[in-house]
Amino acid sequence: MTQRDDTSVPPSSPLSIGRRGLLLGATGLAASAGLGMPWVRRAAAAEPLKIGMLWAKTGSIVDQAEYLAQGSMLALEQRGNMLLGRPTEIVWLDEGNAQGAQQNAERLVGEHKVVGLVGGALSSYALAISAVAKKARVPFIAANAAAGALTGSACNKYTFRLQPPVDVHAKVLAPYCASLGKKWYLLTAAYAFGQDIKKAFGDYITANGGTIVGADEVPVGTPDYSSFILKIRAAKPDVVIGGISASDLTTFLKQWNELGMRGRIPFAEIAVGNTDLWGVGPQAADGLYTLTWYYKNPNNPPEEQAMAADYMKKYNRPPADKTWMGWYSMKSLLDSIEAAKSTDPDAIVAAIENWTNKRGALETRYRAFDHQMTNRLLVAMIKPEITDKWDYFDVKAELPETPADIEKAFGSQAETACKMA
Amino acid sequence: MLRLPTGLTMLDMILSQAVNGLVLGFLYVLIAVGLSIIFGMLGIVNFAHGAFFAVGAYFALVLNREFGWVAALAAPILTGLLGILVEIVLIRRLYGKEPLLGLILTFALALLAEAILRLIFGGAPLPFSTPKIVSGVVEWGPVLITKYRVTVLAITILALGAFWAFLTFTPFGRIIRAGSRDPEMVGLLGINLPKVLSGVFGIGCLLAGLGGMLAGPLWTVNPSMGAGAIMPAFVIVTIGGLGSYLGAIVAGVLVGLVTAMTVQFYPDWSGAAMYILMAAILLVRPRGLFGEKWERFE
Repeated sequence: MTQRDDTSVPPSSPLSIGRRGLLLGATGLAASAGLGMPWVRRAAAAEPLKIGMLWAKTGSIVDQAEYLAQGSMLALEQRGNMLLGRPTEIVWLDEGNAQGAQQNAERLVGEHKVVGLVGGALSSYALAISAVAKKARVPFIAANAAAGALTGSACNKYTFRLQPPVDVHAKVLAPYCASLGKKWYLLTAAYAFGQDIKKAFGDYITANGGTIVGADEVPVGTPDYSSFILKIRAAKPDVVIGGISASDLTTFLKQWNELGMRGRIPFAEIAVGNTDLWGVGPQAADGLYTLTWYYKNPNNPPEEQAMAADYMKKYNRPPADKTWMGWYSMKSLLDSIEAAKSTDPDAIVAAIENWTNKRGALETRYRAFDHQMTNRLLVAMIKPEITDKWDYFDVKAELPETPADIEKAFGSQAETACKMA
Repeated sequence: MLRLPTGLTMLDMILSQAVNGLVLGFLYVLIAVGLSIIFGMLGIVNFAHGAFFAVGAYFALVLNREFGWVAALAAPILTGLLGILVEIVLIRRLYGKEPLLGLILTFALALLAEAILRLIFGGAPLPFSTPKIVSGVVEWGPVLITKYRVTVLAITILALGAFWAFLTFTPFGRIIRAGSRDPEMVGLLGINLPKVLSGVFGIGCLLAGLGGMLAGPLWTVNPSMGAGAIMPAFVIVTIGGLGSYLGAIVAGVLVGLVTAMTVQFYPDWSGAAMYILMAAILLVRPRGLFGEKWERFE
């Protein structure tokens, strides 16, 4: 009986590489490269598509960002995490400050090769991401930022925005505030969002025969507002117009109530988040606001009611307005990538410009000349008595009423500061 | 004299703001003192101090929600116990090592604590109101202050006084003070210094937890609330002089007053006021107001 050494390879075996074999192999490789290596192409097709998401994981807006992120992820989950027939994933990076937002946007584009971006919880962050989107030619949808510059003076071909800008919110809310009195005190954040509010409301009241009895700009992350509240109390305004966002607003309202001001002087603010008020608590919540969406609005279309039900099922709590904003912005991006049938950025931009979606009788879309979404806003007041820990608002109106009024509120192409390159 | 619409004079407003600034300053002192003693005794710059402040607020919130306000008073003790555990498991490995390691570890600890709070409670702020028994305002002439802030001021002064008495008059306090200057000699005298250091870290965290409990009804209770506390605390410790108990108190009151007055006269600068104050003081006294030369850290 002979034993075979399987480890030895005789010179004539097919595993030995001679000159001819080498030539054959090289020719074969070259041929397959010329044919495009179909197996390699199949592997690339199986690689997931990536969508970049920039919502704060740290910092003052993190409360709202959690809901924005959950809404965005829900939009992809509702498609079975598939896009263009390929598995798709969201890469979520932090935007703790404007510089961080810019750096992480660059990472998403450079390292992760994302085909689109959603994010920008604060205006300063969105403006930073927008600059990256423009430079890297990647479509970016800003869901939450309200500063006018984003789709105004700083607009660009690759940036779109869902949130109506400050001056639209102001046009809706200011008449309600004026009906409460003509002496206004402005308490606004010391960055683009707050400065836009100061200007929009200041211009409105002075043009309508009222006066500004005080105006303070407040640093972001102020932990104690009592000194500001003492100044407001001394100035005796008819209305206080706020322009502070997220957890800063929560802190302010808690201290406003603590210092006995709740119910004594009306407080109003635009573009607040449900989470800001949930954190205040039923005893201290107060004010008149504009919202972009509310889960208990009976006019929500069936598609949004289904989203709310999906969210409730998954997270065991109702969706906040920010959930809807995250969801709707991501949905518009995903719809557009499907419509473009491509990941080419210019094709996606063209598809977003053509994207429309019905919300009841109203058709929402991003305007081609400034990439601003046109939509209605809700005017809402805190309920006199809050019995449900999630349900804080009475929706008073949905404005502007008609499509023509909406176009007027958002301004025409001639009125916009946006000069799209 | 300039009169405001309410009939108050500017002097009245300054007085009102000063009282308000004093309360804010003492709340900062409470946070800063814990940070200061941890540095003074352990030589650790504790970046996680703000996280213990947040943990204290969450302990108080949960205890209040489940069992009422009396139970919430246990929040600082629980925070202190958690601090002792953290010292035993992590911090004591840093003694005598490169200071940078302490910075990195406590910074990581702060991020971890925030992430754990977010995991348990979610990122959204949770409602936390003042107890009914101390809600409402009191007006003394031009000064408007809430009953809750008066309570905060009283508790803070009591806590600081009690801690000073503890350091000055008890044997354990004397060991702590001696250990802060010459830990080797304390060890040679047969004292179990590791246990003492655990206790010091626990006390520092207890004070942070007390600050969190008291600030919970005033500030937004969310996982990142510690960030709002840690910066003023560092500024106060720097102004007062690293490791100085009296320095932290004086600096805290100064920061509170300067912040309140800046809001009154130059509100746009209110966020920067304490940093400008710090820069000005450090230019004149680089070790801070009450800073001394510590052989251990030279």
